[in-house]
Amino acid sequence: MNGATLHRIHLPRGAEPVVSAGAEVHPEQVLAVRRRPARPVRVRVTEPLHRPPGQIAALLLVRPGQSVAEGEPLARDPQGREIPAPVDGLLLGTSASDGSALVAPYGVEEPVIGHVHGRVRAVEPDAIVLEVPGVVLHGVGGTGEAVHGELVVAVHTPEEELRAGSIDVSATGKIVVGGSRASAETLTRARAMGVSGIVLGGVLDKELRDFEAIQRRRREVGGMTGAFGVLLLEGFGKVGIDPQRFAWLRTHAGHTASLFGAEGLLFVHEASPPPGRRALPRIGERVVAHRRPFQGRAGVLVAELEDLHAAPSGIPARMGLVRFEDGRLAPVPMANLEATLVAPRG
Amino acid sequence: MIEEDGPVSEEGMQPEVADGAPERPPTSAEMTLLVDAGSAWTKAAVVARTRGRWRLVAHGAQPTAWGEEMLRDTLAARIAPSADRRVAERVRDLLAAAPRISCHTPRRAGRLALAAVSDELSGASARRAVESAGWTIEVMATADDGRSLTERLAALQEVDVDAWLLAGGFETGRADQALEMAGLVAAARGGSGAPVLWAGASTLADEVALLFEPEALTVVANARPGPSEEDPLPLRHALEDLLQRAIEPAGTRQHTPVAFRRSVAQLARATGRRIVGVDVGSHYLTWVRSDEEGAAESRVFAAGGLASARQAAGGPGRLTRWMPLAIDELAVADALQNLNARPATLPQTEDELAIVHAAVRQQLALALEADGMASGELGGIDLLIGAGRSLAGAPRPAQAAQMLIDGVRPLGVTQLALDAAGILPPLGALDDAEIGEGMAVLRDDLLVPLGTSVVCRGGRAGQLVMRVSIHRTGWPAIGPLDLRAGQLQVVPLARGHDAELEIELHNGASLGGPRRARHVTANAMGGVVGLVLDARGVPVGLPRRSDDRRAVLASWRDSFGREASLPAFEPALAGVS
Repeated sequence: MNGATLHRIHLPRGAEPVVSAGAEVHPEQVLAVRRRPARPVRVRVTEPLHRPPGQIAALLLVRPGQSVAEGEPLARDPQGREIPAPVDGLLLGTSASDGSALVAPYGVEEPVIGHVHGRVRAVEPDAIVLEVPGVVLHGVGGTGEAVHGELVVAVHTPEEELRAGSIDVSATGKIVVGGSRASAETLTRARAMGVSGIVLGGVLDKELRDFEAIQRRRREVGGMTGAFGVLLLEGFGKVGIDPQRFAWLRTHAGHTASLFGAEGLLFVHEASPPPGRRALPRIGERVVAHRRPFQGRAGVLVAELEDLHAAPSGIPARMGLVRFEDGRLAPVPMANLEATLVAPRG
Repeated sequence: MIEEDGPVSEEGMQPEVADGAPERPPTSAEMTLLVDAGSAWTKAAVVARTRGRWRLVAHGAQPTAWGEEMLRDTLAARIAPSADRRVAERVRDLLAAAPRISCHTPRRAGRLALAAVSDELSGASARRAVESAGWTIEVMATADDGRSLTERLAALQEVDVDAWLLAGGFETGRADQALEMAGLVAAARGGSGAPVLWAGASTLADEVALLFEPEALTVVANARPGPSEEDPLPLRHALEDLLQRAIEPAGTRQHTPVAFRRSVAQLARATGRRIVGVDVGSHYLTWVRSDEEGAAESRVFAAGGLASARQAAGGPGRLTRWMPLAIDELAVADALQNLNARPATLPQTEDELAIVHAAVRQQLALALEADGMASGELGGIDLLIGAGRSLAGAPRPAQAAQMLIDGVRPLGVTQLALDAAGILPPLGALDDAEIGEGMAVLRDDLLVPLGTSVVCRGGRAGQLVMRVSIHRTGWPAIGPLDLRAGQLQVVPLARGHDAELEIELHNGASLGGPRRARHVTANAMGGVVGLVLDARGVPVGLPRRSDDRRAVLASWRDSFGREASLPAFEPALAGVS
């Protein structure tokens, strides 16, 4: 088990925290609640008070942006006559042309869920900071909402593509580790099957955009339920997960994981330290390459060439000689290499 | 380069020291480190006194994540072979102890929520001002965006921002919708305390102020005073001030975009030339325009750098149209996303380099467009300077010249130069008086002259548009060279040489001057690329069929490559990666 990681959960304006510092929380726990303003109602203000519409600002007792309770006076004239708020809500604005005010009633309470285990470190006006007893993997991209679920691996090798056929009901509510790519169709099916999230080495930008467009359309027509997130660990295109990382993820299958697609984060709870990454690898270290033609391929840095050498693109660069796992030996700009560090034992 | 405290021979060589001679006091060196720490790449240059003059003696660039120690090692390795042998071993320590002038990319851009009446009028004007003042728009809501009031409110409530901007209403009439949007912002903002800017109708300012607590609202001139009028400058300046107050209270002089502007302004003042400088970084794109007096205006696009190329209007499709290689649009999209995900990596293949260079061209063109300037309206400048890793680190100077010319389309006769060592931004972080001094002492090393471009517009495809004769003292005249619309020709004109150009314009072609003169004479300065005669028009017209388009683009690329007879930058200028 590793130490704790700090995680900050942003609170939208208007959300009220319901936890306090020191509290233990679990992934499903509600950390804050928020009542979104619903369709606003128009309240006539100047007409009942026999005032011209242009005087509405002078009559108001609350400013736009302030909350009002049902029955609370919204406006008052010099004679003491009042206009009460018809509902609990938020005063959105006024119209000087017809002398009315817009009050948006508060809708049903919506929970803000943390999706992680942990302890509340601090409650700030716009965020709740949690200590998460687990480790975090930083991805290079992602999409979707925050989700959590059991970590499962759905491919046999890190280079394998996640096919729609590999997703079935057994994956419902889980965070599925795919391989080097998933199509928009696979992602759509995964969502439809109730999968919580997908972790991939890469995905084609086009497929991800198509998937997002499908989700947007479904949201517009309504009926979309549940949350879903996608996380990319290595890059865009067909890119396998680094075998070391893949092995680590496989070791932790069955653990609870929390995926934050838009933030590009994956927490794995109660986990051993994952293989690390470091810029500027040293000779003899295991490396992973990040740009084509070797994007996502792992190997060992066997030498660093003296002086600058032109890459095939013509850019003079510090080059490293990498023996890739498929046996090829190739020069790669050092800037495109990252050392992959074995996780410390214990 | 390295000087001793004691006497030095005239040649800068140290006298032989006999074996067993008493140890001499340690030698010292006069050197200064200039560092521009970018979000992805750090550029550093060493200037040192050599034979009585301050010269640029080494420079390099490396991913910022590699750390400063590695940067010093790299620079020391560059310097050591040519250094005095008594200090060659200690160059690294000397560099560590050397005075340092540095600047850096802003820690983060200002985040702003924008509410306006109309997406195409007040919203567009405000957006342009915001995006060129170092801010990014996190959320935008307009009264005509098709969403319900509650959807707009929810969107505005969702984001975390540093400031709010309200725009709308013309000066000639009353716009209740602007007040409604102000009310919406007041509702969404709640008690967050973030400052609010009102850049709408001045007649509504008092009513808008009532919606917020005292001191929360700053009123600036209407950015869209009328349907066909735009006045974004006061808003842009207010946003720049606000950025400094709200995000960077410690000051912005060390910020690369600000420092770059100060350097360009000083250079313009010192040389009496009208200069435009463009700095294309991973995240930021800055362009500066200065007149001969040094009065400079800059635009800082916090999301205008290469990392944002995928999100740019038109997407990968627009960019693919500008590539001479047949690269799949899907691959282009992935490459752009990877550029965003890992900006400190290098294009390793020719295809990826072509994508990066097309992205630079696109981002430059978009920055001009965003400033309300159609391609080619940027005329009447004497010198165009390119800066930033992707321009300065181009494998061949001709590629950098092509990116500049294609992206900016500088109409007329313009000298082109490159801040290859990344010196301009750090120099701009000095005090006012010191910038000029720094530039004066480094005058020979400051910029790499690429040459001169002559860009004309007008004429129909195939028509003769320019006839150019080139006269150089002591050399036979070249030409007249006939250029037809759509043609590009590069004529070698070496660095340090200048030439007088006689240009005859035909068939309605123009160099963008105030008068439509048919005969123009101008001076051209040489450089590592030479003289670029560009009759491709403004904007450049491209064939519709993709094969034809690629053939034309390849022929232009080859024109640049073929005629640039000089080799690529020597390694010291190309940087370390």
